[in-house]
Amino acid sequence: MASELYPDAPAPIRSDIVAEQERVWAHIAGPGSWFDGEARLAIAAETRLARDCPLCLARKEALSPNAVAGDHTHGGKLPEALVEVIHRVTTDPARLSMAWRDQTKADGVDDGPYVEAVGVAIQTISLDTFARGLGLPPRPLPQPRPGAATGYRPPSARMEAAYVPLITPGEETGAEANIYNGMVGAYIQRALTLVPDEQRSWFSLVGAQYLTSAQMRDFEQEPRAITHAQIEFLAGRISALNQCLY
Amino acid sequence: MEGGDGGVAAGAELSAFAEAVIGADDAALAEAISALRAAVGDAGWVDAAGVAATFNAIDRLADATGIPLEDAKAEISADFRAEIGLDAFAEGRR
Repeated sequence: MASELYPDAPAPIRSDIVAEQERVWAHIAGPGSWFDGEARLAIAAETRLARDCPLCLARKEALSPNAVAGDHTHGGKLPEALVEVIHRVTTDPARLSMAWRDQTKADGVDDGPYVEAVGVAIQTISLDTFARGLGLPPRPLPQPRPGAATGYRPPSARMEAAYVPLITPGEETGAEANIYNGMVGAYIQRALTLVPDEQRSWFSLVGAQYLTSAQMRDFEQEPRAITHAQIEFLAGRISALNQCLY
Repeated sequence: MEGGDGGVAAGAELSAFAEAVIGADDAALAEAISALRAAVGDAGWVDAAGVAATFNAIDRLADATGIPLEDAKAEISADFRAEIGLDAFAEGRR
């Protein structure tokens, strides 16, 4: 039952979930396209700190987040503009806008670092939500792995219909030729493609925690202990509570 | 906010679990876990935690990147989006 990641598990956890989560923590701890492992772990830590930030709590309660001025309470390891990104994505995502994204870009968070930070933050949120769902505290953050950021930007990514450049299905080339790997290329599957390793990591985790793309469409099989109907009901309920329009 | 059962087995327990897992009330979470565990068993509970973990993050990914809704999804949901005024809200994000 117990694993190194979940020695306190109150019930057996599928081995593929544990393996994927261990892989994601190692991925977060290593160098990415725009941040080294230490900075990526600082993003993960900042994601956790955001939940108790007094400015974020006040903004969340306000009619408009712009109505509340002040500074974020943060860990002090990341630039203020990046802290703003991580905290807003974590605590008030439903009210993000193109104007807000334009401002964060003007403040110095370019598209590549923005997408990578979002990728690290949402994977951290996902792993922490899973632990909470089992009644457990967040797992300890790992130690950083050495190495420098690559600075890699996929040549096929371009601005189309989102706040950030994406790789449009049919335009995948070179190292990204298989970026969709059996997926249909829905916008949610394109969202992280400016930083391909974040997209690959995230959807590999999704396949274990939720369903693979093929499993989603196969209503003849029930690969989980709850049914497709139960899964989609729960997913829809979470999205409604998060006021997500997608 | 109260959720119904959506016409699915253990829907009420899944709904309560959804609210508790993304909330901050640990006592409510413990109660919701206990009820869900009784309704769907340990394996179902763990799978539910995986689904909640996925969508609590994927919602943020969609919002942070400003991706649009696909035409097919927009068509399917046009009636209830219009009914509750979601389209006007979405316009405000641009």
